[in-house]
Amino acid sequence: MEAAGSQQDAAKQDGSGISYQVPNTLLSVQNIYKSFGSNAVLKGISLDLCKGQVLALIGGNGAGKSTLMKIIMGIYSADRGEITIAGEKVDISNPKAALAHSIYMVPQEPMLFPNMTVRENIVIGFDEGASELESRLRSVMDEIGWSLDLDRKASTLSIAEQGMVEILRGLMRNPKVLILDEPTSALTFDEVQSLLACVQELQNKGIGIIYITHRLAEVFEIGTTVAILRDGIVTTQGNVFEFTRDDLVRGLLPADASLSSGKARGAARKIDYSQDPVLKVQGFCGYGFSDISFDIYPGEIVGLAGVVGAGRTEMATTIFGMDKALGGSVLLNGQDITGRKTRQVISMGLNYVPEDRFNDGLYRIRGVAENTTSALLSSSRMGRLFLNAKEEERVSQSYVDRFRTKVTGLDQEVGGLSGGNQQKIVIGRAFSTSPKVVILDEPTRGIDAAARGDVYAVLQELRDTGVSILLISSDMEEVVELSDRALVMYQGRIVQEFERDQIVQENLTAAAFGVYQAEAKAVTE
Amino acid sequence: MGRIKNLLHARSMSSLVFLVILFLVVGLINPAFLTPSNVSACFNTSVVYTLVAVGMAFTLFIGEIDVSVGANLGLVAAVVGSMLRDGQSLGLAIIVGVVIGALIGLINAWGVAIMKAPSLIFTLGVNGVLRGIIYVYTNGAWVENLPKGFKDFSSVTAVGDLTVYYCATLVLVAVVHFLLTKTKRGRYFHAVGDNAQGATLVGLPTRSTTILAYVICGVMAAVGGIIFCSRIGFVTPASGNGYEMKAIAACVLGGISLLGGVGSVVGSAIGAVIMASISYLLVFMGFSSNYDNAITGIILIVIVVVDALLQRRAIVKNRHARLAARVSSGTEAATAAEGKDQEGGEA
Repeated sequence: MEAAGSQQDAAKQDGSGISYQVPNTLLSVQNIYKSFGSNAVLKGISLDLCKGQVLALIGGNGAGKSTLMKIIMGIYSADRGEITIAGEKVDISNPKAALAHSIYMVPQEPMLFPNMTVRENIVIGFDEGASELESRLRSVMDEIGWSLDLDRKASTLSIAEQGMVEILRGLMRNPKVLILDEPTSALTFDEVQSLLACVQELQNKGIGIIYITHRLAEVFEIGTTVAILRDGIVTTQGNVFEFTRDDLVRGLLPADASLSSGKARGAARKIDYSQDPVLKVQGFCGYGFSDISFDIYPGEIVGLAGVVGAGRTEMATTIFGMDKALGGSVLLNGQDITGRKTRQVISMGLNYVPEDRFNDGLYRIRGVAENTTSALLSSSRMGRLFLNAKEEERVSQSYVDRFRTKVTGLDQEVGGLSGGNQQKIVIGRAFSTSPKVVILDEPTRGIDAAARGDVYAVLQELRDTGVSILLISSDMEEVVELSDRALVMYQGRIVQEFERDQIVQENLTAAAFGVYQAEAKAVTE
Repeated sequence: MGRIKNLLHARSMSSLVFLVILFLVVGLINPAFLTPSNVSACFNTSVVYTLVAVGMAFTLFIGEIDVSVGANLGLVAAVVGSMLRDGQSLGLAIIVGVVIGALIGLINAWGVAIMKAPSLIFTLGVNGVLRGIIYVYTNGAWVENLPKGFKDFSSVTAVGDLTVYYCATLVLVAVVHFLLTKTKRGRYFHAVGDNAQGATLVGLPTRSTTILAYVICGVMAAVGGIIFCSRIGFVTPASGNGYEMKAIAACVLGGISLLGGVGSVVGSAIGAVIMASISYLLVFMGFSSNYDNAITGIILIVIVVVDALLQRRAIVKNRHARLAARVSSGTEAATAAEGKDQEGGEA
């Protein structure tokens, strides 16, 4: 790290020389605005990329990184703002136009044609003759020193190899700008090293690279400049050598990030840690996560922070019996629920509220009452053969009252409700099964601030009744607000546990990006 | 390109092997079957199925489907048949027939590529409308009394016992196969069906590829309708009924995946011969040819179910591989990537 670092510094100095003196700007985006409906995703983004620069772009979930890249690639069009390439204003209305301007994006999930060979995957879409393409491809591969069997079918490639094919595709187009969207998120350690070496090779050839990542270590390893996106604006921008890790973490935090932790939230809740935990997870392994151990005590809200892809949802759905567990155990009130079917897990007292309300949660065109009680349909409480309409009404009304859900009636279609009220109904449904533990996955995503407060109130009220909640959230503020304890996952593992007085956004963010240090905590306090 | 072509060949080869075994088994049961004229009859009978199946293959390559080919074929056969009956020139009738087929293809393309309607349902609706038009157009009556020369031409042979129609169809299949595998545009069909989003990202014209696939499918069904007229010699309002299932089964049997991106028109041509032979072979084996449709359906179901199972397994496997790759390999990797920070944090 030391030796590599000094070499890096030299390279960065060069990069900075170019960026601020010679007008060698390859790509420049100015004042880009983009909204989806009422949701403003980008609020005036301006970024510059020069020849031979590696612009590391970081930001939390929903910060707008992907949206910005999709605008540059012509997949979305911006509401306002302009894009200039080599000083010329351009109109990129579709991916073809972006390719014509020598911009290529390697998407996060490789977009190969699985039934075609590697060669066909790389050369498709070009107009030259087959032999010309072949020799060009050979020379590109020689240049960066990769060997790949071109006759293999793409579906037989490993994730890393798929990424290589994507990059070769990009290089065949002689790109001036190459966008890499979290290229290392699915790679092993060795593969990451060879990819980073490749990026440096490309940089030396004068290609401008936008490198999106969730790993701050990579920013220092290969970035020449860095930009931090938060809530649709660029909060921090400059040469990498001007920043420390703490600076970057601070850039990821909201401007008004209060240092208030759990202890500042007034009357501290007393949780009796001497009693048996209600949920005990030990050495739990599955697809996307490994060696997870934690306990949840009765009446406790445990926050589970991390970035997208850290394995939180996969762990939750595996506990919930929706995917195969590979090892370890999950005990609910002392009973082993590892590997049980979802139906059994619910009846034993654990419920899960998914992140996507529509795909996994609600029956959009059904009424409030039907949605609230749909999880109870298999229990005899709702009647054995015919539905017990009175019971349905009673249960639904009780949740509507308790959560202060704004509905015109119990038969109102759920699709017409606001996001916050929809979320209350999904939560109500999960709690109607009288669970001991509920796992909530991103309960306030896409919900406005007022409704968010309502949902928080509902969760706190439920917690006070003795239900335990595992709160998966990428919104660090939310974890700070609600959690009695917080866990942070990074690359499929729990890397940190915070007691209530340590739960501050800075600590959570640092751990979620894999750079938490004990000293960081000391600095804030 | 060698290996994938081997694979495509393997898929269509296995259907060729199946065809040969089928003929040999029937020959063992009833030696009277294995004469050149009987075997040739199986090939000659398959000409309409082959034409429709080749067109169908294009919509399957792009991951869609067209179930309106049966009514398309029936309508073109009715129009061409009645034009010829009424003394119009053959050239004009053929042009009108092909234009009708192309228009039907465009309607399907509008629904699927522009309006983004589910192709199965949209083309099913078109099928119903076309069938209705046939009844209105013919008043429910048969189209008969076609010119004798037009009918007799269907039995003119070119090579051995093989008819001119079948030989011409074979040439057509070979040309289409060459265009699909050897030209850049030809590969677009498979690319769109393999990964539509990926195709857009590398700048392929996904929409016009879809439109072209449906127009080709419509035209091929129309040509099938004209040959149908000549071979059968009359057209009923129900002509072409069930041809969509025969064509889909022929394609699937020939190694084309209903999920798109896989297969060749050679395979669908071989599949079409098997489909055409079933009723013929049943008779030689001493069964009623009434079982024909049921057997076609069973073949279709078996292949599709097996294909879906394999596909689902592959998807789950890929997802798990992708997720597993995300997990850091434990302390070594974390330490290497992050220096001593993490250990410090945990201490």
